Amino acid sequence: MIKVTNLTKEFVQGQERTQVLKGIDLHIEEGEFVAIMGPSGSGKSTLLQLLGGLDVPTKGDIQVDQHFLNKMKERERTIFRRQKLGFIFQNYQLLPTLTVEENIAFPLHADGKLTNEKNKWIHELIASVGLEGLNRKRANLLSGGQQQRVAIARALVNHPAVLLADEPTGNLDRAKAEEILVLLSTFHRRKKQTIVMVTHDIFAAGFADHLILFKDGVIDQVISRKEEDYAKYLANFMA
Amino acid sequence: MLNIWRISWRNITQNKKRFFFTLLAMILGTSFLTSMLVADKTTKDVFDYYEQMYVANADYWVLSDEHTYPEKLISSIQKDSAVTHTLLALDKQAFFELDDDHSLNERSVRITGVNDQNSPLLKLPVIEGSLDNKGIILPEAAAKLLGKGVGDTVRFTDMGEAKISAVVEYTQLLASPSDWESAESTSFRVMAPLEMLREWTGKNDEISYMRFQVEGDGTDLFRSFQQASVGSDVYIEPVVADDLQSNDISGLYTFFYLIAGLSIFISGFIVFNVIYTSVIERKKEFAIMKSLGYTQGSVSKLILIEMLLLAWLSTAVGVPLGIWLGDLFMQALLSVFEFDMVYTLNWKLPMLLAIVIGLLIPVIFSLFPIYNAGKTSILLALKIANQTSASSRRHFLRTAVGAVLLAFVFVDHPVSYMAILIGVILLFPLLLSGLSKLVTPILKYLFNYAGIMAVKNLSQQINRNANTAAILAIGISIILLLGAAVESAPKGYEKEIRGTYGGDMRVTSETPWSSEDRAKLLSYDDVADVETLTEATPITWKTKKGRSRQFSVLSVSEKGPSLFADPREKDLYKKLKQEPSVLLGNRAFDEWGGEVGQSILMNTPNGEQHFKVAGVVKTSHYSGYVAFMDEEYLHNDFGWTTSFDLLLTINSEAGDSIRERLWSDFGDHLSKVQTVEDEIASTTSAISGMNDLILVMLFLIISLASIGTANTLLMNILERVSEMGTMRALGFTKRQVSSMILAEGMLIGLSGVVGGVATGVILVYITSKSQLMEGFVSFQLPLDNIILAMIAGVSLSLCAAWISSKSASKMDIQSSLKEG
Repeated sequence: MIKVTNLTKEFVQGQERTQVLKGIDLHIEEGEFVAIMGPSGSGKSTLLQLLGGLDVPTKGDIQVDQHFLNKMKERERTIFRRQKLGFIFQNYQLLPTLTVEENIAFPLHADGKLTNEKNKWIHELIASVGLEGLNRKRANLLSGGQQQRVAIARALVNHPAVLLADEPTGNLDRAKAEEILVLLSTFHRRKKQTIVMVTHDIFAAGFADHLILFKDGVIDQVISRKEEDYAKYLANFMA
Repeated sequence: MLNIWRISWRNITQNKKRFFFTLLAMILGTSFLTSMLVADKTTKDVFDYYEQMYVANADYWVLSDEHTYPEKLISSIQKDSAVTHTLLALDKQAFFELDDDHSLNERSVRITGVNDQNSPLLKLPVIEGSLDNKGIILPEAAAKLLGKGVGDTVRFTDMGEAKISAVVEYTQLLASPSDWESAESTSFRVMAPLEMLREWTGKNDEISYMRFQVEGDGTDLFRSFQQASVGSDVYIEPVVADDLQSNDISGLYTFFYLIAGLSIFISGFIVFNVIYTSVIERKKEFAIMKSLGYTQGSVSKLILIEMLLLAWLSTAVGVPLGIWLGDLFMQALLSVFEFDMVYTLNWKLPMLLAIVIGLLIPVIFSLFPIYNAGKTSILLALKIANQTSASSRRHFLRTAVGAVLLAFVFVDHPVSYMAILIGVILLFPLLLSGLSKLVTPILKYLFNYAGIMAVKNLSQQINRNANTAAILAIGISIILLLGAAVESAPKGYEKEIRGTYGGDMRVTSETPWSSEDRAKLLSYDDVADVETLTEATPITWKTKKGRSRQFSVLSVSEKGPSLFADPREKDLYKKLKQEPSVLLGNRAFDEWGGEVGQSILMNTPNGEQHFKVAGVVKTSHYSGYVAFMDEEYLHNDFGWTTSFDLLLTINSEAGDSIRERLWSDFGDHLSKVQTVEDEIASTTSAISGMNDLILVMLFLIISLASIGTANTLLMNILERVSEMGTMRALGFTKRQVSSMILAEGMLIGLSGVVGGVATGVILVYITSKSQLMEGFVSFQLPLDNIILAMIAGVSLSLCAAWISSKSASKMDIQSSLKEG
């Protein structure tokens, strides 16, 4: 589903060049739930942005759903995003002038492909994220947890090949965060949804199938839920 | 150490585009203001200059209520030791002898013979030749039309010929037509040596008037001569420079002030929008500053300095630019007059005024934001929580007050205009919301989903967007009203002139009309009636403030021609009959400054006299700068005994043939023939030229308002950086983002145009129905202006939106998302 080869990203500020990602290779299969962790500045968020086509790499290839993002033009990447990717952000990033329903439908509107069938799907999504009855409520009038649920529904509305989540529980308390993670986990299990999640929260990472640990722009460690180390690692971290 | 000026400079230049557009709006506002102030002062100077040129250095003049009088009557003055200079003048009507085929009326010329062409009591700016007291002096316009120059000979029918010794600039004394069409109704005026004219006319001892200059104020001489000449044919008057009788340009000054006020109001409003938004955006920054020990005053001071920096910059650039624009404007303005006028740009006082206003207005408009910045609460969260209910209450209050103010359309009072305009501004959020809903299908068709998003976005900052559209609307509505007034003014003037001219044709003679002359005129097939018009002129009088002014006093009677319009006409005639009193035309009444029932002081042929002002009336004669008196009192008490004018009622088709016949039959003493149509044409000729200026002003005002639109859209974009980043992340293309901003700009422009045209129509309608205007402005829409307003309003708003959309589409997605 996702194949990253020799991925390098440099930022230039004045005379200074900073290499944030240093030749990363990564392979994520379809239907996997991957959590990326690492200290600030380790490159995890940059990787997510590159996977989402929000930025272009300095070097290397990014292949998502058999499309080379690094070879696409800006407009092609935009269209790819609205058709093949779903985004969840830490601060929800809902459009305040739109209602719940309109926010969720936004990627379909942008694509000009809102049909009756899709409308039905939107209502199903609203129900599945537990927001029945709030369809016509302005997004900015909802609580943080509710807003993130809307964001999840919006991310799923176009049946994305990959759902990219950047600190999806970063602004929520533990109870609300758990609800969101359970929701993501449910979609992952039921719909075989591929999810790549960047998080600082080891509790959130516990919901993923694989944990990728970043350090200084390179992948330090990849731990799978199936491995014994995974439970040990989490337990140690929690302790 | 922190330098507050440097910090302020950094703050205002932080957002380059916003800084640029705000500064541009302020510069344009200041420059339009400056240009109008310069135009106002320069125009006043121009008219003063020509008036002073007419008056020259003379202090008094001795005239006659006959056409001429014997020179010996003024010998006492000539001999008086206090008299430093005298100028003797004799006027004589004649005809040019031309090689080309021209009618008598086209060839009519008034020759003024003077005893000294170089007299200090004459101001004749020579273009070519010299004032040698030997030849004819021609004004430039006449010289061009006749194709003559210095050294050429001019011939006068049945009189003689002389060489041209000088060609001079335009002066009132020698005002001449510049084309043959105007020569039909206006005589040429030339100057000749007095002796030459006396020789040609045989009037060897006669003069029309004598001007003289005295040492000191000459009051004793004036009084003694005034007393000595009571009951004689001559009378003495002080020489007064008063251009109000020959020019009614008060409307022009109103135009200047209106444009200046509008420009500075629009730029002030833009400043308010920008600075208020800036303050709201920086609340967090102010809260931090206050938590670190900044007082309310120091936060306010920071914003004030930012404002002062902007004001200083805009004034430094705007004022010189405005002086240059004022020069351009004056060239355009003076070109609409019939004669070539020269002007010297008066920019010093306007510059000082513009600097003061340019520095003050932005500060005044930003007082509320400055106060608001200082009042920032550190506990921002609490503040934000309270804001929702407060703003909805404010929204309701704004709408309610707006509706109440709009109800002033039913009140016929000058204040209503201001109330309506404020009402429109307050109701604009409602109009913008309503119009947005109405045009949503069109926007969806044009811009797809981006159009729908634009409608939703506009509602986010509805007040700011509505204010921006309201600025455009107010500009458009006022210019439309001005346009309507200019367009319907000719009709209004025509109505007024026809109603008060007193006939169809006015014929003026050098000598009093005899009963034989009247009988001959009545024998013309196309002349239905002949009435005498007595005009005592020039008559000097004092305003309530003691200023000397000059006008004509016309005789009226109940059975005579109707020279003024008033619903109480009969009562007024009765009042005039009861005692020696006058009716003042409205402009003369305003200038006089007294009240009906009080007395006005005049210098009459019978000496200085007080007359009760019995009323104020509207009249076309001298645009209302005139007085009316009962004919018997004018003859007996006032002392004016002769009439040189007749008012003819004629078959309207026969104007030209009668004119020709008049010149042919009475050419030896006829001096002027003017039809009511000539009067209408001469009154309205300058107004039609104003239409082009109105169109230019409309375009400039819309441009200025569009800068406001660009600025507002930039602010909207800046506030929605995070949202736009989200949209882009979720698959909105750059083009879709641009389309969305374009649609927002289009909506603002459209609502500004729709609101402006609607308000303009309301203003024109209430003006046409206003009792105060007495039907002067008819309800007719200036279609040219409306079409220009619509095209320019929407297209310039789209341009403004396009500039803003470039910023929006270039936004970096990642950094935009971080803003959230």
